[in-house]
Amino acid sequence: MKYFMGILSLFAFPALADVNIVGTVAAKCVIQTDKSGVYGNPIASKLSTTPADGGVLPVIRFDVSIADSYTANITHPTAFSSSPSLSDTLAWTGSTSVTQTSVAGMSAYEAAKVLVDNTTIFNLTLAGSTWFSTASSAVYGAAKPFPGGTYTAVVQATCVAK
Amino acid sequence: MLWAFCASAHEMTPAYPKFKPSHVYGVYRVDLSLFNSREEIAYYEVELFDTNWGALPFSTVYRVFKVDYKERKNFSVYIREADLNKALYVCTTSKVKKTYESSTLISSRVCSRLEGDPL
Repeated sequence: MKYFMGILSLFAFPALADVNIVGTVAAKCVIQTDKSGVYGNPIASKLSTTPADGGVLPVIRFDVSIADSYTANITHPTAFSSSPSLSDTLAWTGSTSVTQTSVAGMSAYEAAKVLVDNTTIFNLTLAGSTWFSTASSAVYGAAKPFPGGTYTAVVQATCVAK
Repeated sequence: MLWAFCASAHEMTPAYPKFKPSHVYGVYRVDLSLFNSREEIAYYEVELFDTNWGALPFSTVYRVFKVDYKERKNFSVYIREADLNKALYVCTTSKVKKTYESSTLISSRVCSRLEGDPL
């Protein structure tokens, strides 16, 4: 009995072990669509996402975990992806700008942006979140009224590893 | 905390995947992972590009694949050995659905950069 109790008491000691918690931070880009845009129709021949024209600007957020690892390439539309049949030409304009940042230094992205055709390229040199908005407008023919129907265009937001 | 409030996001990792040998001689693979938290998106397309954004041939199980909301999908892209020095970007692009209001839709694309020698 004495021996038995002795053996049992050995099991009563707590088992001690080190448990490691390991984490890694790797370069990562997340594209978040904060708001889809809406075309306003201020005059019969114009569709525009500008709030002054009754539209809503699309807002896209890029989150990057490591500084200087990605570029944000945002392409404004130059065609409708779906629309009623159009017989005349369209004059497209568009632009993308930085609207909000999580780090003060990101405000320099706006001055350093590069426009290639209809794609605006921002060099994401700091870690954190940047919000971009894209303005898009289309004017139909020589001030022709747009036919009634639904008009949809696509903004392409690309995050490219450097 | 940065990622905690991502309500509608497209994420692909790793940013710099490495080439690994595949089960087929002369073909290498890269392993990627996509997370979809864009509720309005259910399908993503895989593409492979060279330095000039020219499309390159590759193989994968599905070029357009379904990823449900809040789902993570791991996938592999198979590239010929002859194209290893040309392949630079592997991208996933969200496929947007037609809507019934005059709007701008946002198509998101995340591109990882392929570089380095095969493992």
